[in-house]
Amino acid sequence: MTQREVKLLARQTNQRGGVGSALRGILRRSDTSVVIATLILFILFSFSNSSFLTPFNLFNMSRTASLYVMVALGQAIVIVIGHMNLSLGAIGGLTVVVAGWCMDTMGWSPWVAAPLALLIGTLCGMFNGFIIVKSRLNSFIVTLASLFIFTGLVQGISQGFPYSNIPKEFTMMGRNDLMGVPFLFIFVVIVLIVLGYVFKYRIVGRRLLATGGNLEAARLSGIRTDNIILLAHTLSGVFAATAGLLWVSRMGSAQPSTGTDWLIVSFAVAIIGGTALNGGEFSALGILASAIMLTLIKNGLIMLNVNVYFEQTFLGVIVLLAVSVESIRMALSNRSRRSQVKSTA
Amino acid sequence: MLQIRHITKSFPSVRALDDVSVDFAPGEVHAIVGENGAGKSTLNKIICGIYTPDAGEVRLDGATIHLHAYKDALDRKINLVSQEIQVIPKSTVAENIMLDKLDRYLAGGRIDWRRINADAARYAEMVDLTAPVTQPVAVLSAAQKQLIMIARALSSDARILIMDEPTSALTRHETDNLLQLLRRIKGEGVTVIFVSHKLEEVLAVADRVSVLRDGSLIGTQPIARLTKEQIVQMMIGRDARTLGLGALTVDAGPPVLEARGISQTGRFHNVSFALHRGEILGFYGLVGSGRTELAQILIGEDRKDGGEVYIEGKRANIQSMADSLFKYRMGYVSENRKEKGLILSAPIQTNIAITVWERLRDRFGSIRLAAETATARDFMQKLEIRATDPGQTVGSLSGGNQQKVSIAKWLAAHCDILIIDEPTIGVDIGAKEYIHQLIWNLAKVEGKSIILISSDMPEIVNLARRILVFKDFAIVGEVRNNGENGAPVRGYDEVSKEIGQYLA
Repeated sequence: MTQREVKLLARQTNQRGGVGSALRGILRRSDTSVVIATLILFILFSFSNSSFLTPFNLFNMSRTASLYVMVALGQAIVIVIGHMNLSLGAIGGLTVVVAGWCMDTMGWSPWVAAPLALLIGTLCGMFNGFIIVKSRLNSFIVTLASLFIFTGLVQGISQGFPYSNIPKEFTMMGRNDLMGVPFLFIFVVIVLIVLGYVFKYRIVGRRLLATGGNLEAARLSGIRTDNIILLAHTLSGVFAATAGLLWVSRMGSAQPSTGTDWLIVSFAVAIIGGTALNGGEFSALGILASAIMLTLIKNGLIMLNVNVYFEQTFLGVIVLLAVSVESIRMALSNRSRRSQVKSTA
Repeated sequence: MLQIRHITKSFPSVRALDDVSVDFAPGEVHAIVGENGAGKSTLNKIICGIYTPDAGEVRLDGATIHLHAYKDALDRKINLVSQEIQVIPKSTVAENIMLDKLDRYLAGGRIDWRRINADAARYAEMVDLTAPVTQPVAVLSAAQKQLIMIARALSSDARILIMDEPTSALTRHETDNLLQLLRRIKGEGVTVIFVSHKLEEVLAVADRVSVLRDGSLIGTQPIARLTKEQIVQMMIGRDARTLGLGALTVDAGPPVLEARGISQTGRFHNVSFALHRGEILGFYGLVGSGRTELAQILIGEDRKDGGEVYIEGKRANIQSMADSLFKYRMGYVSENRKEKGLILSAPIQTNIAITVWERLRDRFGSIRLAAETATARDFMQKLEIRATDPGQTVGSLSGGNQQKVSIAKWLAAHCDILIIDEPTIGVDIGAKEYIHQLIWNLAKVEGKSIILISSDMPEIVNLARRILVFKDFAIVGEVRNNGENGAPVRGYDEVSKEIGQYLA
């Protein structure tokens, strides 16, 4: 081979490597598909329906999406370590009832009610984590049991009645806006940015991911994995409680039924948002995009006059689709990676 | 007679096999050797119909055959005993042995279990599997499961039996028995294709050997004409580097780590030993003899019921790996790197920096990603880890490179004491030598104190100048090979014989 041929060949290989690595980079990201899908849906709806891009519709949709994000975070934080929290909705419901009871029945200030409710939610999550760590049972069983425990508390305390006497200052968060952007949306975006930063730059975030990636290896690398598990479940409680409080703030009343439909939403948003089901992966952008996507779809169903009672069926189908897309992505990403490794070896 | 002719197989951007032709005669054990990635597995999979070749043909008794799935191979009595253990844990030994032919035992719509158990027992005996055939497989050891897979293949009356690393989980005794068995079945006219990293076994059992390197056939030779060194040279294409393993200090100065009277109910009773600076202390013994189990106690992964551990002369309180790492700078390289040593889905940089994130923070407590990448790059260069960049996932690396990553994280953490458990399992020969040299240098040049746990006799004899022999959760002997300044005074044969005496 002449020197020129060698150079030419080298250049060709380099070029292929360039395009290949960019493609690989995109494929490797778990949130690519959901971001693209959300953008497409958004554009589609913008053109097909004149009432879609109205300030009122956007305002409402962004509030719904914000609540979805909060609910999904409660699930995502435990999915990250390879666990799940089936009691998420019940914790949310308990928070709602406690907040309602404090403000309505007791007439206390929101400044007392909200921290107290948040504390209860946090303790619930901590309870899950503690039992899981101490009993070595898996999170499915433990949170299934606590789902019943917390649900019972919700029904026992509220007797099924809503609390409607919620002070105006409490509903500001869920109903007011800053220059047209709901406070709720601003709040969750900030939370997502903080989480994105924590998972990328803080030791605790990296330890959560490592524990989810391989529990044994993480522990044998000096990570106190029991603490990490306890932390993840506690945070799950914090997010569920926050979601509960925001829910009350948006609705203007505390409904004991709040949270009963969170399970499917939390898994749907988290999984579609690129949280790997077997742990070790988290995407703040993906969760935001998938919450928006689900809101868009819900909105679209209403505009198409589809019976809203079928909503969960659609959610389930979308989750299946998302998981299939995910597995295809993994296969593609693995293949392109493997071929690259072999060519360099 | 199985012949493969001019087989070529490419995967995207890599040629796994390039114009390979080999004849496999009836009644021979034909070994296929080569480093990881040389094409052995691809060749096996083509013979078994799992892959179809891009060019070339497979001939059976002179006629070209086209295999499109493993089932096609099975129909022609070509059987594969794969490297991965594939058993159904909750089913019995007999069911697992007869798994692919349960339909032969149907009588009036019901399975004739008595006949299955009787037939299975015959094959279990053939492979020296002592467990009762009615026992569930879940409780058996890895070695016993491997024997089940071999029995399964034997019970199919295979004409061509492909064995991919069949001895990786077996003990010495079981291995000897298996080799004996292979000699016997080749006498019945079966072709055995034997793939192994362990050249001693190849030399002991094979009639002919084919060497693959980078997808090409380097040569097929009768085993009698080759020495081990020649085979290695064919495999790696250069002279096998003999280690400059000379003198290494042994028990100089006060001990760095000292275990006094370690006890654990039902296992250890009053076990003591000392590790000194700059030495490699060998833990030799069979799997399950207590070597790894003692290490687990040292790093706090398992509780001890009695005794104390002293580090640098002070009593150490180690309750977890975190204590071991952060309080005493003691690292542990797991024998099971895929399940316990590495996060395969995470990038190289995460796996190396996981022990030193604290150190890499800026003044606001954020991990400096650039510093993390730089740390990873540094060790990738130092340990010659072959990868495109530190962001590549560890799962996509070869066994040898994965092992280097799992050692690197302890070096990054500046660990002075390293417990290295079976460092070269599933690692190809080139990487194995490299890892040996690395361990040697860590002790000799950097003065690290190393406990080397290994069941690989040449490995432990070459590296350690002081070897503790484990048997039934006790240290049954200490073998020394240090003369003036710790230089070895006895040859391999003598040392290994002494170790063997303690085990007997």
